Amino acid sequence: MNKTWLIAKREIRDRITSRSFLGVLIIGPLIVLGLIYIFLSYDSKEKQNWEVLLMDETNLFEGKLSPKKDPYLDFHFINDFVDYDEFANNQTFSKFDLAVWINEKVVSNKHVIIFYREKPSEAIQRRLVYHVERRLEEVMVEEFTGLSVSKFREIKQPLSFSLRDTYDPRNEYSEKAAWVGFTFGAFIVLFLLLFGMTILRSVSREKSNRIVEIMLASVSSNSLLSGKILGIGISAVIQVLSWIILLSTGLILFRMFMFPDMFSPEIVAEQLNNPGANLTSGHSPFVSLIFEQIRFGNMVVFFLLFFFGGYLFYGALFAAVGSSMGSESDGQQFIIPLNLLLLFSLVAGYFAIVYPDSSLTAFFGFLPFTSPVIMMIELANGFEVGESWRLYLALFILFVSGFITLYMAGRIFHNGILRFGHRLKLGLLLKWVKKS
Amino acid sequence: MLEIDGISKSFFRKKALSDVSFKVKEGEILGLLGPNGAGKTTLIRVINRIIPADKGYVTFRGKLIQQEGLKNIGYLPEERGLYRSMTVEGQIIFLARLRGLKLNEAKEQMNFWLEKFEISGWKKKRIEELSKGMAQKIQFICAIIHDPDLIILDEPFSGFDPLNIGLIRNEIKTFREKGKTVILSTHSMRSVEEICDSVVLINNGEKILEGKVRELRDTYKKGLYAISFHGNMIAFATALWAGYEIVDKQTHSDEHFTVYLKMRRDNEINDLLNAVMHQVKITAVEEVLPGMEDIFLEEVNKTLNPKNE
Repeated sequence: MNKTWLIAKREIRDRITSRSFLGVLIIGPLIVLGLIYIFLSYDSKEKQNWEVLLMDETNLFEGKLSPKKDPYLDFHFINDFVDYDEFANNQTFSKFDLAVWINEKVVSNKHVIIFYREKPSEAIQRRLVYHVERRLEEVMVEEFTGLSVSKFREIKQPLSFSLRDTYDPRNEYSEKAAWVGFTFGAFIVLFLLLFGMTILRSVSREKSNRIVEIMLASVSSNSLLSGKILGIGISAVIQVLSWIILLSTGLILFRMFMFPDMFSPEIVAEQLNNPGANLTSGHSPFVSLIFEQIRFGNMVVFFLLFFFGGYLFYGALFAAVGSSMGSESDGQQFIIPLNLLLLFSLVAGYFAIVYPDSSLTAFFGFLPFTSPVIMMIELANGFEVGESWRLYLALFILFVSGFITLYMAGRIFHNGILRFGHRLKLGLLLKWVKKS
Repeated sequence: MLEIDGISKSFFRKKALSDVSFKVKEGEILGLLGPNGAGKTTLIRVINRIIPADKGYVTFRGKLIQQEGLKNIGYLPEERGLYRSMTVEGQIIFLARLRGLKLNEAKEQMNFWLEKFEISGWKKKRIEELSKGMAQKIQFICAIIHDPDLIILDEPFSGFDPLNIGLIRNEIKTFREKGKTVILSTHSMRSVEEICDSVVLINNGEKILEGKVRELRDTYKKGLYAISFHGNMIAFATALWAGYEIVDKQTHSDEHFTVYLKMRRDNEINDLLNAVMHQVKITAVEEVLPGMEDIFLEEVNKTLNPKNE
């Protein structure tokens, strides 16, 4: 283990002192942050006039809202409840963009549900919340207290608003969330490709400059291979963690200075004082997606786990090819399929976004070649209760496959590392796997 | 000290070593000889546990060589390689630590050897900045930095200028003086004659000859003598009469020759001197022993053309 660690340390030092490593370490996250900024700054050209159906079952609001007409919202009252399907499909309601359900117990449960056809921006949501909340406050003060409205506002409990897609009321499927999962998966693929190729180059370079013979006179081939994979793996983790730290810091700074929480009391107060303010500034749908919908803690933990598993699996394969190459130019016929396999996982990811419930997607989720991408997508979409076992099974299969691949790569490495001048063929690799 | 016992090794269908056995005594320098592709490097790799033998054993001081035992062996492979981007210091310390030295010991040993070879100034240089010969010296230091008891050097003189060949040769002799055992695989027969105590000759994966250098040269001698003189060549040849057979001659000047001859019947050097000393002025007489190169060629040719034996 001591020698393995020595080899690993040399690999780490070799990597982290190289300019390309430092370049990817710093410039990479900055580029990604730049792209995120572009997405977040994207102003969707959304509707300027929203027709809102206010379903006031008990006529609590008495057909009234704020006396001041909102320039963006037209309210229409009914004293009835219209369910999701009806609102979505009944021709009568087709002219309404939003439906706000004031349930009969809203005074006690403080819960209001908004159905939407097209998701309104945060500004529209805020205006909607403002009008409903204000009216409810008036009703509650009138009915239950002897307080003034302003006094009541000081002691009130906030209303809880749920925003629901009328076509997917349970929020079973969110393509945007899936794309975020896909992005996580794509980063896994990017890092696997980057560090897989690093392993391959490192092994083939040692082989071609012949230092491997000196190394093998001091350590076993298994220790050498393990040290290499461990060292490059640790440098990969350093790279990944620094990306996570830099991206997280960047996102926090974005949130603090560029895309603040529009529902925070300070922002609301500012907007209320200036109701005619520019509606569209900073209202990209990605803002709420990135800052509110994605559970980053969960995603990052599984991102790291799937990265480790994928690294073990693909790293061993790249090491096996590197050690068995007859010359530096040899082995392309194996490198290309390996890279294609990684790219295929992205294609499978796209398939999983388009057909999330297909059996093929479920199969790809367990396949070690594709599971890192598929499972990140599924994780972003969220697992149904009792379905999360699929995530753990995929991880288990990935790690078991990784260790099996590592074992086979060890045999290929042992038999192939000191063979030169041959032309690499699949038959030869199989022979080396069989040979102890 | 080291015993090679019935080692066989094949690479798929190609036989690289076939039942090779020999012993290396403590404190001796053994020359491992053989033409290219004979199996020397394969045998050395088996000793170093770089590749496993299909059959046979290698024991070191009576025990099978295990991974842990490799710290007693220093190995300079024929195909040299170093990490090109590493510094000389980093490279030596890294390999020394892999051989089991602690960091302080590794630094101490490195400083000792760099100073001994008068190359302390190279410490911070990257390997890629060194010439081939300079890198060879670093590799030599890396091979012996952990003060091993058995040193295996595969073509240690290749790539060196005559000055550095002398330096390395002296170091190898010093190892013997310190009681170290050396296995030297080389094509430099002059070095073998000069520094090896015994040799093993391998061809086509089989051991074809083994013995002490001096004894082998004695065994393979052909009764050839070299006599150098000043005087008339015709007078010399006439004086020899029928008791001697002239095999060859070298003319150094008009009146200065070296003649190679074989004795006939029971003639000895005294008879030869008696026959010619009144005709020419003798400057030197010696028995010509075969060089290791002659023995090497003779034995290898025997295996190539067994009918001529």
